[in-house]
Amino acid sequence: MLAHAIVFYFFSIITIFSSIMVISAKNTIHAVFFLILDFVSISCLFIMLGAEFLGMITLIVYVGAVAVLFLFVVMMININFSELKSGFLNYLPFGSLIGLVILLELFIMVGAWKYKPEFLNTSDLTFSKNISNTESIGNVIYTDYIHYFQISGVILLVAMIGAILLTFQKRDFLKRQSITDQVSRERSDSVIIKKVESFKGVKIDD
Amino acid sequence: MIEIDYIYPEIFLILSLLILLVLGVFKKNSYDLIKKITTICFLICIPIVYLNNINDLVIFKNSYAVDSLSNYLKILILISTTFSLIFTGDYIKIQKLDKFEYPLLILSAVIGMFLMVSSNDLIGLYLGIELQSLSLYVLASIDRESEKSTESGVKYFVLGALSSGLFLYGCSIIYGFTGSTNYYVISESLKASTNIPILFGIIFVIIGLAFKISAVPFHMWSPDVYEGSPTSVTSFFALAPKIAGLGAIIRILYICFENIYVEWKAIIIFISIASMLLGAFAAIGQTNLKRLMAYSSISHIGYVLASLTTNTKDGVISAISYLNIYIIMMISSFACILLFKRKNIYFENINDLSGLSKNHPVIAFCFAATLFSLAGIPPLAGFFAKFYVFKSVIEANMIFLAIIGLIASVISAFYYLRIVKIMYFDDQKDKFDEVETLGIKFSILVSSLIILFYFISPSFILEFVEVASKIIN
Repeated sequence: MLAHAIVFYFFSIITIFSSIMVISAKNTIHAVFFLILDFVSISCLFIMLGAEFLGMITLIVYVGAVAVLFLFVVMMININFSELKSGFLNYLPFGSLIGLVILLELFIMVGAWKYKPEFLNTSDLTFSKNISNTESIGNVIYTDYIHYFQISGVILLVAMIGAILLTFQKRDFLKRQSITDQVSRERSDSVIIKKVESFKGVKIDD
Repeated sequence: MIEIDYIYPEIFLILSLLILLVLGVFKKNSYDLIKKITTICFLICIPIVYLNNINDLVIFKNSYAVDSLSNYLKILILISTTFSLIFTGDYIKIQKLDKFEYPLLILSAVIGMFLMVSSNDLIGLYLGIELQSLSLYVLASIDRESEKSTESGVKYFVLGALSSGLFLYGCSIIYGFTGSTNYYVISESLKASTNIPILFGIIFVIIGLAFKISAVPFHMWSPDVYEGSPTSVTSFFALAPKIAGLGAIIRILYICFENIYVEWKAIIIFISIASMLLGAFAAIGQTNLKRLMAYSSISHIGYVLASLTTNTKDGVISAISYLNIYIIMMISSFACILLFKRKNIYFENINDLSGLSKNHPVIAFCFAATLFSLAGIPPLAGFFAKFYVFKSVIEANMIFLAIIGLIASVISAFYYLRIVKIMYFDDQKDKFDEVETLGIKFSILVSSLIILFYFISPSFILEFVEVASKIIN
C-alpha cells in the first residue's frame, strides 16, 4: 500500500507542477514540453486506477498527436506570447474567482456523492472483473454499438474530405519531375547534327 | 444478423459515397459524372426505402427505428435533395464550384439526415446531427474565393459546435437521471417520476434541435449563412435539413418525452410564437432575396412547431403535411432565384426583379404563384398547409396560438406581395439570360403545377402522411 501511495503522490506532484509550469513558463516551447509531461503523468495516473486503455489512449492521442501538433504550430508561427500574457494581472481576480467556484462545485459534488445513500456507487456497476478494459470496450463496440462505430468512421471520413476540399490548392504553374518522360527520352529528340558550311552560317530555330 | 436487412438504404448510400469518392479522386474533372451518379443513387434509394416499409421495427437494441414515419421522411429527404442537385447545375458551373466533393458532401449529409429521422437513441441522434452538420459546414464555405462564403461557413461552424455542446450537455443530464440514452427507457422512467433537474436536460436537448432547424431564439446564424453561402448550397439548406431536424424533433417529443407533455408544451409554444412573429417582422426590411427566404423559412418552421404543440396525431399529420408543401414551395422559389442572371452574373436583390413580368412572363407568373402560396392565399397549396395547422391547433383548444399565427401570416403577406408588386408594376430592366438547362425548367414546372393545382385533390398528401404517422398514438 505504501508503494502505491508513493507512486501516486509522485505522479500527482509532477502533474500539478507541470500544469502550473504550462501557464507560467516564459518560453512557449518549454510550456508545450511541460504540457507533454503533464499528459504523460496523467496517463500514468490512469494506469494506476486500472484504466489502462484510457491511459494508453491519452498517451497516443494527446502526446502523440495533439501536443506534437501544438509544438509544430508554436515553432512555425512564432507568436510573442509575452504580449498575450501582459493582461495577466488584470484578469487574475476574475480568473481566481472562477477557479474558486469550480473548486466549491467539486466539494459539493464529492460531498453529495459521499453522504447521499441513493447515489450510485461503483459496486452497483455490472461488469466482469476478469476481462481487461480493452476487451470489454471491444465487446460492446463491435456488437451492440457497431452502427455507432461505423457512423463515427463516416464522420471522420467527411471531416477529412472537408479539410482537403477547403485547404488543398492545385498549383498548375509548378514544374514537376516526370520520370517516364526522362527515361524515354532519346538522343534523336534533342540533338541534331548539322553541317555548317563556311561563310554561310546555320539557322537554329526551324 | 437479420437486423442488417432493414438498413439497406443507409448501407447503399454509404457504399456509394465510398465508391464515388474513389472514382472522383482517380478521374480528373469528374464533377459532372459524379453529380449524375449521385442523383441516380438518390433516385435508386427511393424504391429501396419504400420496399423497406414492411412493418414498423426498432432494431439494434431499440436504438434505430425503421418505421413508416422515418421511411416517409427519408423519401421526402431524397426527393428534395434530388431536386436541389438537378436545378443547381448551371450555377455551380458558372461560379466555378464544380468540384467532385460537392455532390459527395451532399450525399454524406443525407446519410446523417437518415440517422436523424430514424434514431431512437440520443447517441445515434447526436452522431446523425454531427454527420449532417459537418457536411453542411464545409458546403457553406465551399466557395473559397468568396469572403462571404468563408464567413458564413465559420459562423455556422462556431454556432453549430456551440449548439451541439448544449445538446450533449442536455443528453448527459438526461442520461444521469434516467440511466439510459434510449428513448423508450427514458420515456418509461419519465412516466414514473419527473423532477426539476431533468427538465434542464430536456430544455437543452430542445435548444440543440431548435438551433438545427433555426427556430427563434436560436435563429441568428440562419440569415447570414443563407446569404453568404452559394445559392445552390442555400437551396439545399432550406430543404432537406429542415425535414431531418423536424423528424428528430417529432420523434423526441412524441416518443421520448411523451409523458411530460405539459412541461415541453410551454417551451414549444414559445419557440413557435417567437419564430412566426420574428419571421414576419424581420423579413420586412430585407433587400436580399436569400436573406428574405431565410426569414421566411424561420416563420414557416414556427407554423410547423405550432401544430406540434397539440400532442395529437392530427398535430403530427398537419406538421408533416405543412413540411411537404413548404418543401415544394422552397424548390420552386429557389429554382426561380437561380434564374436571375445576366451575362453569368447572378442577381440576388429584390430590386433587380423590377419589371420581370414584361421580359419573362412565365417565370414571373411562376414566382408570383409561389410567393402567393408562401403567403397562404387560397386556392394555392400554401393556404392548405396553413389551414391544416390552424385546424389542428384550434381543435386542441389553443385559439390564441391560431390567432397569433394568423396575424403573423397577414404581416408576412406584406413582404411577399411587395416582391409581386416590384415584378409586375415597376419599371422594366434588362432581360435576364434565357434558361438553357432542363433541370431547372423541370423543377419549376413540377413545383408550380403542384402549387397551382393542389386544390383539386387536397387529401392527396394527407393520405400518405396519415399512413406515415400511424406510429404516433
